[in-house]
Amino acid sequence: MSREKLLEVKNLKTHFNTENGRVTAVDDVSFHVDKGEILGIVGESGCGKSVTSQSILRLFDEKYLVKYEGEVLFKGDIDLLKLSKSEMRHARGNEISMIFQDPLSSLNPVLTIGFQIAEALMLHEKITKEAAFEQAIEMLKLTGIPSPEKRVHDYPHQLSGGMRQRVMIAMSLACKPRLLIADEPTTALDVTIQSQILDLIEDINKRFDMGVIFITHDLGVVAGLCDRVVVMYLGQIVEEADILNLFENPMHPYTKGLIKSIPHMDGDRKEELHVISGTVPSLENVPVGCRFAERCQFADELCQSKMPDLRVVGEGQKVRCWHAEKIAEQEEAPVYVTS
Amino acid sequence: MKMYFLKRLLSLIPVLFIVSIVIFMIIHLTPGDPASLVLGEEATEEQIQAMRADMGLDLPILTQYFHWIGNALQGDLGTSYFMRQPVTEAIVSHLAPTISVAIIAGTISLLISIPIGILAATRRGTNTDRTVMGISLIGMSVPSFLLGLFLILLFGVKLRWLPVAGYQPITDGFFGHIKYLILPSIALGSMHAALIARMTRSSLLEVLNMNYIKTARSKGVHEYLIITRHTLRNAFLPILTVIGQTFGSLIAGAVVTETIFNIPGIGQLIINSVERRDYAVIQGVVLFVTCTYVLINLIVDLLYGVIDPRVRLNKK
Ligand SMILES: Nc1ncnc2c1ncn2[C@@H]1O[C@H](COP(=O)(O)OP(=O)(O)OP(=O)(O)O)[C@@H](O)[C@H]1O
Ligand SMILES: [Mg+2]
Repeated sequence: MSREKLLEVKNLKTHFNTENGRVTAVDDVSFHVDKGEILGIVGESGCGKSVTSQSILRLFDEKYLVKYEGEVLFKGDIDLLKLSKSEMRHARGNEISMIFQDPLSSLNPVLTIGFQIAEALMLHEKITKEAAFEQAIEMLKLTGIPSPEKRVHDYPHQLSGGMRQRVMIAMSLACKPRLLIADEPTTALDVTIQSQILDLIEDINKRFDMGVIFITHDLGVVAGLCDRVVVMYLGQIVEEADILNLFENPMHPYTKGLIKSIPHMDGDRKEELHVISGTVPSLENVPVGCRFAERCQFADELCQSKMPDLRVVGEGQKVRCWHAEKIAEQEEAPVYVTS
Repeated sequence: MKMYFLKRLLSLIPVLFIVSIVIFMIIHLTPGDPASLVLGEEATEEQIQAMRADMGLDLPILTQYFHWIGNALQGDLGTSYFMRQPVTEAIVSHLAPTISVAIIAGTISLLISIPIGILAATRRGTNTDRTVMGISLIGMSVPSFLLGLFLILLFGVKLRWLPVAGYQPITDGFFGHIKYLILPSIALGSMHAALIARMTRSSLLEVLNMNYIKTARSKGVHEYLIITRHTLRNAFLPILTVIGQTFGSLIAGAVVTETIFNIPGIGQLIINSVERRDYAVIQGVVLFVTCTYVLINLIVDLLYGVIDPRVRLNKK
């Protein structure tokens, strides 16, 4: 199956101007999404997943707040970072759309959900309000909302959390975009609703052959959904691998830590949940060496002083670690412990 | 919506009840006997007793209250012994100038402050924003009597564009009417304009930070529609509250401005009545003003329901 690149992010940097100076929330990030592929972006809170995804659509205020560097190539040769404001608006919601973590706060409380879905249609497809509402009903039906003819006139607060997220999805799909960016779409929902929403996203991905960037801090969710995964740590990509390699052969100590910390629902209940010790350093004092070094049990002088590059270590797998191979060997060798 | 309206209306009853008791107590808690005040120092004990009986002051206090409130509900607020005129009539005859000033001041300040607040919010951090914030800070800190005096000096005395003080009823010509009221309205309205402009700005900025604004942007909605369609209605709720509250202080401010500009309105009526200890008028005016204030806040609450579906549709 030959894949065609839908989105290619090259050396993206996102700098914020804050009161304490400039911080680089996304630092030299490169990845790509193929047509019809689901790419996962994983990492702990604060590692730059949302900033990365919102940088693709340039949702930050470019006048005062943010400066982007690098390239975001869409459909091969359109650099989104170079588009004019109106060209960018044309792409948003039409070619690329987005759903967010908290569906309640992401929907406008004073507009009906029907209008909020229809709005993108009226903007991009220049159709009448009536036609747009017709389509909004269709979208609600598609996302599994019961009696959509009545629901279109509801306001967000009248729906349950799961329904709201379905509305968000309906809204993002209204113009049949080529790429859907889902930023932790299930984090605010309980487990059963969560799996329903994941099924819906997977179904839509198949049905419309739509590329999806799925952002989460939960590797467990990634396992059943994504084709490929990018692991982020403090604004950088530390590992990239397809889904099989990621779980069978993780190379970065951080990825390993994340995998160990997936809760096993079926396993021994008393098993203690693994937690990666320490916390993510702040963007204001980024370490000079490997950014994960201070939390890594394998870190040595080299790690402390010099930042490793993201390097290819296998078929479609990249890792940002000086000692990835050594660590892998150590773990495979039998360990004799004398007590 | 109907239920919401009814509920709001019913909730006013206890408020007004307490207010009426407080107002009624004015007469009994202030030192000095109203009857002897009316009659002056020369009056004999019998005259005072007769006056007390005439004013109903010899009755038990509860009877007096129910008497007073019962009449008030029928629009009869008693009689002023100084003006020899029913209080209701006195209020009505002083009402027009005050309402005129309040309307002009309110209109001018809303027409200026809201657009300016929006402008400052959409241009935050720029010189436009800083200028608006600076001027509004001045506007909030300068007391209306000072601004009033300054306006009189500049436009009345120096430039001679507008009359220094006084009043002309609207029946004697619209422009003459406005000419007299424009300075007092500015003096009265500037503080509200400043307050509402700042409120508009901060409220707008808060809404612009909301997630749903990001959603709208991610749909490709134009910045102009982001403001008009997605932001303003949400931002208007706190602004509305401030408008309701400042309207109350417009009435309070009338006392000062009407004195400075010599306008025969409610403010002047109450000042004169306080000087003369004309209790019936004081009570009547305070009751009237309070009811107006409560009414305006009721309207504000109802507008809340119109603007925000969460208010309108919740708890049906
Ligand atoms: N507008 C902003 N101005 C300054 N810094 C910001 C801004 N938005 C995000 N950041 C910083 O960028 C970093 C990455 O934030 P981001 O929201 O992308 O994290 P995340 O990986 O999405 O985490 P979470 O799982 O909590 O959503 C954080 O340190 C955050 O403080
Ligand atoms: Mg996030």
